[in-house]
Amino acid sequence: MKKIMNQPEQFVDETMEAIELAYGDKVEFLNGDRRILMSKAPACEGKVGIVTAGGSGHLPVFLGYVGFGMLDGCAVGNVFASPSAQKMEEMIRACDRGNGVLCLYGNYGGDRLNFGMACEAVEFDDIPTRTVLVTDDVASSPKGEEGKRRGVAGMVYAFKIAGAAAAMGKSLDEVADITQSALNRIRTMGIALSPCIVPEVGKPTFQIEADEMEIGMGIHGEPGIQVEKLKTADETAQLILETIDRDMPLEAGDEVSVMVNGLGATPMEELLIIYRKVHRMLTEKGVSIYMPHIGEFATSMEMAGLSVTIFKLDKQSKELLRYPASTPFYTNANK
Amino acid sequence: MDRKALAEVFSAISSVMDQNKDYLIELDQQNGDGDLGISMSNGFRAVKLYLEQAEETDMGKLFMKSSSVFNEAAPSSLGTILSLGMSGMARQLKGKERVAFSEMNEALDKGLHLLMEKAGSKPGEKTILDALCPAIQTLKENEDISAAEAYALAAQAAAAGSEATRQMKPIHGRAVYYGDKGIGLLDGGSVAGKLIMEAIADYLGGAG
Repeated sequence: MKKIMNQPEQFVDETMEAIELAYGDKVEFLNGDRRILMSKAPACEGKVGIVTAGGSGHLPVFLGYVGFGMLDGCAVGNVFASPSAQKMEEMIRACDRGNGVLCLYGNYGGDRLNFGMACEAVEFDDIPTRTVLVTDDVASSPKGEEGKRRGVAGMVYAFKIAGAAAAMGKSLDEVADITQSALNRIRTMGIALSPCIVPEVGKPTFQIEADEMEIGMGIHGEPGIQVEKLKTADETAQLILETIDRDMPLEAGDEVSVMVNGLGATPMEELLIIYRKVHRMLTEKGVSIYMPHIGEFATSMEMAGLSVTIFKLDKQSKELLRYPASTPFYTNANK
Repeated sequence: MDRKALAEVFSAISSVMDQNKDYLIELDQQNGDGDLGISMSNGFRAVKLYLEQAEETDMGKLFMKSSSVFNEAAPSSLGTILSLGMSGMARQLKGKERVAFSEMNEALDKGLHLLMEKAGSKPGEKTILDALCPAIQTLKENEDISAAEAYALAAQAAAAGSEATRQMKPIHGRAVYYGDKGIGLLDGGSVAGKLIMEAIADYLGGAG
């Protein structure tokens, strides 16, 4: 294993410590707990809280989106492991301003169980919660079984939409419904060229030959649809876009936002070459593009590869996407 | 049932889990990571100790706190699943200091459904639900006989349900990686479920 780190057991805590050192003007730990990050951005009285949680190792997901116009709080566990229900519960309580909290997170077993427990505990004390699961990964389960899909990069759009809706003063039910409706129009698919190594494990998450790529891989190295010989950038973009199009048909006149997301070890140039083809294909179809997001948004440590997310927009989601947001790892001022 | 009786029930479950700790570890090592015996033993002991010294009398609040005590002591998947069940029961029992047999069945049913909803699981998937679902169903169908008799029937239903997991293919957790190789193996979680029901039945049988 070749990594720039100190003790593997300190990997997450040291990362968290650095986030507070670097961005302490925007975020802070909840009661000094290095696994719960809270936004310091001023929010209007009674704003619905937006929280998420999940394993570490995906920066900027999740805690990079804590801040103005996005998340109020985020709890993280060890690399690729859910935080405890207790931490989630403390976070939800701290993010409630009297009108409840939206729990918005990726569809993973451990996170669901712990969030489920945390929500029960706070609702016992009459703090209302709504849960919206991110299930954008088309490669993780077939059409018709969308509820079983994993949540990947599309969750960044969901954070943006929910955060903006809450900042505009909408109610918990409105924020949850708007976010769910946006997620119904968000699809992602990824490919991987090389595995990542969880610091405390020390071994790669999967094996892949030098001339192969894994189609549809998840952000924890979960197997995808199939392993294939390495394709060109244009072929890769085409495969991804066609798969998404079959799942969520795109038509002339549609307007979409496109996210090309690097998984950790993929250069910006490669992401842009993918974007070029996606843009051309969409334009040929008569689909227009609004606020493309190209860069690293949801990673998997040092995994090489990328994902493409398509977010089909309507008037409201455009407005929410455009609404100001500023967090340590995200701003839409440059989009 | 009140706080005192609840503490005695958890104490009975806790000793059964201690006695079966090694057996549960062995079962779990066949297709999991082997922590089942440890988490069940630690979890129920922690709740027993909490209930024995608790001053709270509201059964809902007792269950809610037990749920979080259990989760802290047993943060495995099955530990979290049982904690969820307890928190579902808590909501149903909120504001009550004494709970009748039928009310407890209602709460068990609520807890069970919350657990199924949050875990996205149902019976037939080689989990603890294969023991708990038939047991709680049996309790609800037998509210006209004494609680002790009903729990004795429920324990039998749980044992039969657990035994049936041998023929099931795993769908959840690490056991999934064993796929068809898991067929023939008894699910450790369902055995834990069976032990819980047996411990309650034995406690009520002895007390009544």
